[in-house]
Amino acid sequence: MDFSSLMIQVLNGFDLILILILVAIGLVIIYGLMEVINIAHGEFFLLGAYTVVIAQQWGLHFWIGMILSLIVVGFIGLAIEFLCIRRLYERPLDTILATWGISIGIKQFIIIVCGPAGQVVHTPFAASVIFLGIEYPVYRLFTMAASIAVITLTLYIFLRTDFGLQARAVIANRNMSSVLGINTRKMYRTTFIFGSALAGLAGGIMSPLMSVDPQMGLGYLVPAFLAIILGGVGSLYGVLWGGSIIGGADSIFSYLISPVGAQIIVFSIAVVLIRLRPQGILGKKS
Amino acid sequence: MLEVKNLRASYGGSLVLQGVDMAVPKGHIVAIMGRNGMGKTTLMRSMVGLIRSLSGQVLFDGEDIIGLAPHRISNLGISYVPQGKEIFQSFTVLENLRLGVVKFQKKDRALPQEIFHYFPILEERSNQKAGSFSGGEQQMLAIARALVSNPKLLLLDEPSEGIQPSIVKEIGEILIKINREKGVTILLVEQNVDLVLDISNECFFIEKGMIVNRSTTDHLRKDDTLINQYLSL
Repeated sequence: MDFSSLMIQVLNGFDLILILILVAIGLVIIYGLMEVINIAHGEFFLLGAYTVVIAQQWGLHFWIGMILSLIVVGFIGLAIEFLCIRRLYERPLDTILATWGISIGIKQFIIIVCGPAGQVVHTPFAASVIFLGIEYPVYRLFTMAASIAVITLTLYIFLRTDFGLQARAVIANRNMSSVLGINTRKMYRTTFIFGSALAGLAGGIMSPLMSVDPQMGLGYLVPAFLAIILGGVGSLYGVLWGGSIIGGADSIFSYLISPVGAQIIVFSIAVVLIRLRPQGILGKKS
Repeated sequence: MLEVKNLRASYGGSLVLQGVDMAVPKGHIVAIMGRNGMGKTTLMRSMVGLIRSLSGQVLFDGEDIIGLAPHRISNLGISYVPQGKEIFQSFTVLENLRLGVVKFQKKDRALPQEIFHYFPILEERSNQKAGSFSGGEQQMLAIARALVSNPKLLLLDEPSEGIQPSIVKEIGEILIKINREKGVTILLVEQNVDLVLDISNECFFIEKGMIVNRSTTDHLRKDDTLINQYLSL
């Protein structure tokens, strides 16, 4: 095996890890912190991708479509929180059923509006570029940079700003936060919108790399949940570990064995790790 | 400053407050004493909006605050230190203090540095996790968190609970200083007689959800009949 094909595999591996964390980061907020088991998270991702598709059909520039994916899905998150989720914060198991229904609804809505077939999104980039001595698709380099930016910004907002402090406080102890003068209902809503918008943006960023179809959400939902559980529910940094292990193992074994074999191995690794450390890598024992 | 009129509230299905009447004058330190299960904590939680009362009024500077959401009551200038402190254990000391001021507009969120004059330990260990503090230190942090917003009224629910006597004495001295220097009115519910006699001006006795007696603290220091009647088991 020569150097350039090894480099490509390494870059692909990093790309997969970063994409996985990018997709999971919105779910870290909604599931990991707020404990809403959001089965519709994959559909938020899908709605972000379709926002870019529709923006493109309307002749809008690709970048505008991507910004819209953040805004549109943020508003959809607002509507879903207001109509449904806000009644279910103390009942995590019930959120499964509710968000499953939302997930089916969104998928069927997309099929009615856009049809069941896959759609293609074009990027304004040239196809590939020479990077570190090898030829590599420009857009994949962009997704890596965008993922790093989004992940860093999210961690910064949640761990270093007053908004993040209030969000974490409300999630940790709602009553105490309210007597400290924080409007907890508004805080929950804003946090849910934040997580939804991130899922939409992830879908927008990923849309040119895949066939945008009504089933695309599921393929990302499962690994995202797995990454969060593996990293430790409730820990913001945990998803970095979980995403790296799952994405890393997936790309290594896909290359060494086959994509199907890699899936089997990745799930086995996850099962063993969760058996040994049920609270996740960074999670605290309850 | 604070006036409670015929306040009735239930908790866990039973009527805990059966018509509480009391008043706290501006600038005073007032204590409510009574045995466990007499409704002290329910009274506190009703005043800050965590429990919906059935009827009655709580007037704060003349405004009825019953039915307001807890964050609105807090924004009027009432701070609350709950039983069990409810410190955010996994947050740093500084983050806990900041949570006392985040309710304000961005420009007014500076932590008043004088808080470290009252509680120097909080400055030395501001980047430490609050969960690593002892019970007494956590109580100081909870009081400091309630004070950084410069409240008009400070409510304390059993600040001495589970804390060693020397620290209770220290906390009592700090409360007196804050009351005198900052003019903060203080209402506390307590079972610790020493603390109440040390710091309060006046004392109400609560039994079965009603205020059944009251006395100046000066009188209680000389004559402990009321204390024996309402606190001994």
